[in-house]
Amino acid sequence: MSFPSDIARPIADRWRELMQRWLSRRSPPSRSVTLDHSKLFILPSRAGMGFLLVVALLWLLGTNYENNLVIALTFLLVSLFAVLPVHTFANLSGLRLQLLAARPAFAGDYAEADIDVSRSGSRVREWIRVGWPAEEGAYLDLYERSSAEIRVALPVVARGKVRAPRLRIESRFPLGLFRCWSWVDLDIEFLVFPQPLSAGPLPIGATLSDSESDDLSVAPQALRGGDDFAGLKPYQPGDSLRHLAWKQYAGGRDLYNKNYESHADTRLWLDWELLGGRDVETRLSNLCHWALQAERQQIAYGLRIPGSKLAPAQGADHLQRVLTALALFPVKGGVGGQSK
Amino acid sequence: MANQSELLPRESLLWIFAAQFAALLPHFAQLPLWIVCAWAFAVYWRLEVFRGRRDLPGRTVKLLVVGLTVAGLALSYRRWFALEPMVALLAISFTLKNLELVSRRDAFLSLLLAYFVAATLFVYEQTIPYALYGTVCVVVVTAALAAQLGHFSARPRRALGLSLRLLAQAVPLMLLLFIVMPRLGPLWAVPQNNSGTTTGISDSMTPGDFTRLSKSDKPALRIAFDGPIPPPEQRYWRGLVYADFDGRRWSQGFGVDPREGGVVRWQGREQKLPEVGPRYRYRVIQEATNNPWLFAMARPISDTRGVGETADDRLLKKRPVYNRFAYDVRSWPRETLTDDRELSDFEYRRYLQLPRGGNPRTRAWAEEFHASGLGAEEISAHVLKYFNRSFTYTLKPPALGADSIDDFLFGSQQGFCEHFASSYVFTMRAAGVPARVVAGYQGGEWVEQEEYLLVREYDAHAWAEIWLPGRGWQRVDPTAAVSPERIRDGLQSAAADEFMQDSLLQLHRISVLNRLRLEWDMINYRWYQTVVSFDSDKQENLLKKLLGEVSPLRLAAFIAVPVALALTGMLLWLWLSNRGRRLPPASRLYQKFCRRMARAGIARRPGEAPRDFARRVGIEMPALAPMVERITAAFERAAYGEDPAAEKQLRRLLRQWSPRANFVFGRTADGGRIATGE
Repeated sequence: MSFPSDIARPIADRWRELMQRWLSRRSPPSRSVTLDHSKLFILPSRAGMGFLLVVALLWLLGTNYENNLVIALTFLLVSLFAVLPVHTFANLSGLRLQLLAARPAFAGDYAEADIDVSRSGSRVREWIRVGWPAEEGAYLDLYERSSAEIRVALPVVARGKVRAPRLRIESRFPLGLFRCWSWVDLDIEFLVFPQPLSAGPLPIGATLSDSESDDLSVAPQALRGGDDFAGLKPYQPGDSLRHLAWKQYAGGRDLYNKNYESHADTRLWLDWELLGGRDVETRLSNLCHWALQAERQQIAYGLRIPGSKLAPAQGADHLQRVLTALALFPVKGGVGGQSK
Repeated sequence: MANQSELLPRESLLWIFAAQFAALLPHFAQLPLWIVCAWAFAVYWRLEVFRGRRDLPGRTVKLLVVGLTVAGLALSYRRWFALEPMVALLAISFTLKNLELVSRRDAFLSLLLAYFVAATLFVYEQTIPYALYGTVCVVVVTAALAAQLGHFSARPRRALGLSLRLLAQAVPLMLLLFIVMPRLGPLWAVPQNNSGTTTGISDSMTPGDFTRLSKSDKPALRIAFDGPIPPPEQRYWRGLVYADFDGRRWSQGFGVDPREGGVVRWQGREQKLPEVGPRYRYRVIQEATNNPWLFAMARPISDTRGVGETADDRLLKKRPVYNRFAYDVRSWPRETLTDDRELSDFEYRRYLQLPRGGNPRTRAWAEEFHASGLGAEEISAHVLKYFNRSFTYTLKPPALGADSIDDFLFGSQQGFCEHFASSYVFTMRAAGVPARVVAGYQGGEWVEQEEYLLVREYDAHAWAEIWLPGRGWQRVDPTAAVSPERIRDGLQSAAADEFMQDSLLQLHRISVLNRLRLEWDMINYRWYQTVVSFDSDKQENLLKKLLGEVSPLRLAAFIAVPVALALTGMLLWLWLSNRGRRLPPASRLYQKFCRRMARAGIARRPGEAPRDFARRVGIEMPALAPMVERITAAFERAAYGEDPAAEKQLRRLLRQWSPRANFVFGRTADGGRIATGE
């Protein structure tokens, strides 16, 4: 696939770009695509080339021995080879692919899309592979059923909204000597959450910053005193936290030690500012991890990141909102300033 | 290495082994036993690997196996550039490949090889049973190829069905190619299958040779005449001339075989044709003999490529007849021509040659003729009369002593054609008349309204020729003097009691079976004529017959018209099989509605019930809700309530309404269509 030489690289890239542009003209993005001759490509596979080589050798054998049966066999195989692309093409032609859902995923994991593949006619379809190249993809048959739901996976690296590249749908039916394929764009966009990175136990009992004074009415409930505080220690790394070492911190501690020691109803803020000194992506990853942890432990949690704030709550929908907010956190702009 | 999905499942393996077995089976007989065993063992090993009881062999074992097989091949075959070692090599590659049959690629390689092995079968045999078997092989290999893709295809019925269907579709194009594609001659000389034992008449004659042949009813020649047909007593198919006698064995002698300096006029050279036209024109189809000699009536000329005429009036093929071979002959039998050529000294010596000693009584007897000054023809008449008087024709002659001619002529007096020919020629030579033994076939059986003459091995015959000054070589058949019915009606009636006595079932006695055998031979003959010997001449004739004249334009049309028809048919098939069953009108109307909704930005999900869809529309696009409600209700009544009024209503509703017209909010609800996960 790739060119080994460095000089060839730009050419290959240009070529790929041209291909992409041509493809998007030919088959524009759409949630539902029906494969037809304008979208399908077909060429002999490597096994097909081998087959042709054998046919050529057989022809030599038949000609040199002036053996009509060998020649007839050669022609039979040539004719077989001529008939095959029709079947391979027919195996894909008329198939309808429809995006059902693009499942969100965590960065570094696989994002999965649910796709419905269906045929309209009575013609059965076999051995169809759908996937993003390099990945194996999913195999399906429409043999005894007329539609199938498949799940294809794409490895995602970066968080955010990720537009999936064109999906390849391929078939080598019936003999594997021809490869018919298409590149379809089902307009798939994945929501990719940050990769969860452990930042230690949940920041339970951490106080709020001064600036968030308007939240103080809620804050006391969200804090928890007592023994848990010790656990927080390693995660108050260095200066920046000390820089934020607030007055309320010490005061609040005494206050709540008594009242809330064994209380499960503490509210937890996952705060951007708690993770000072790390870069943006690490912070997001840590917050993500915390959110998942809190959800697992069934502790209500809120999220505070620059530009958005979600009140403490719990449940799948809340988690979804929190993770989405993390995923869509802008890559650039004001982040550096906020952390100082 | 191959990834998980590329590993071969059980069905794939079994199909591959089935294909290999089918392709190798006919070769088992001639392959060295160790190769067959090695193949079977490799299959066993691979299956054990599949069951997890064994590992695939490692590098060292593989290298060892390769070394062993190469050594084995070198020991088994002296000559490398021949057909058998090639087949053996292919069988070996199967075997070795089986030991590393891991990925789909290996499977393809193995199956492509199987196609080739299946084809080599035809180089050995081109008969109908072999052709049928070869077809079976191709079907199996193709099925195995199909079975490599998916577990549906690997089902035996499905794989075979697919294979048969694909091959059946390929047949028309194959026929077209077979008829149209030009046949180039051999591009280079190829090794021939020449290990097979020679059959039929050999290049020497010892007592007993012809008795052996008389026991075989295998076809030897099929002869179709173009024009006059020779009467039965003229049907002598000359193959060999024996000039040299060592007291027991007759052989061709030195200087006849082209390899020993014998003169052969190969076809294509300038040659003087007799002034009179040929008496007989015929085409001989000869079974493989692995010998170069061909069979024809006296004074033959052949225009077939690779066929030449020898100085002793026979036809010879440049290379031995390894496969069934057809040649056209024109013959000028002797009685129509006079030959005033003189024998050279060399030829005199050659045709008067006798061993130094032995057979004194015969020599003395012949000396008498010579001394009495009789002419050659009179001597011959005397000898034949002697045969006629007291000799018997039998397939089971008694054994003869050291002076075999004496013993026969004056002792047993019972013999077979070879005894008569041999003693006659000996006597004539001893009497000073140049003479030679001729071996070939005599007679034949008509098949199907005299379409062709079928000559079988048991029609093998030996007779004599003597040189008459001014008239040349004349045929004399001493057997005819003893048993005229042998010549007239064939061996079967001449030795009725003894004929084919040794065979288990005397099939020739049952007339129905005999008829069936002739019918079968007829089919074989047609097969050979139309398929096996289809060459550029026949191709041209056929095309002329089909097209009137062979011009590029007509040829192009001949190819293009069926191809265009086939393409149209395929497109039609594609289109028809893609169309779903025609939906009832209500459903079609509802689909129309769904299409409009999709254009407006809200598509019905696959499998979503109309009611659910309506509810979703109600949530996402409230403005459309009332109309969508009504349409859905009308559809449900029309589709499930079988209400014709509802159908009409649905149609009316759809005619007036478009979702875009009263869609006011824009595509706000669009995002709702992607579920953002659980």
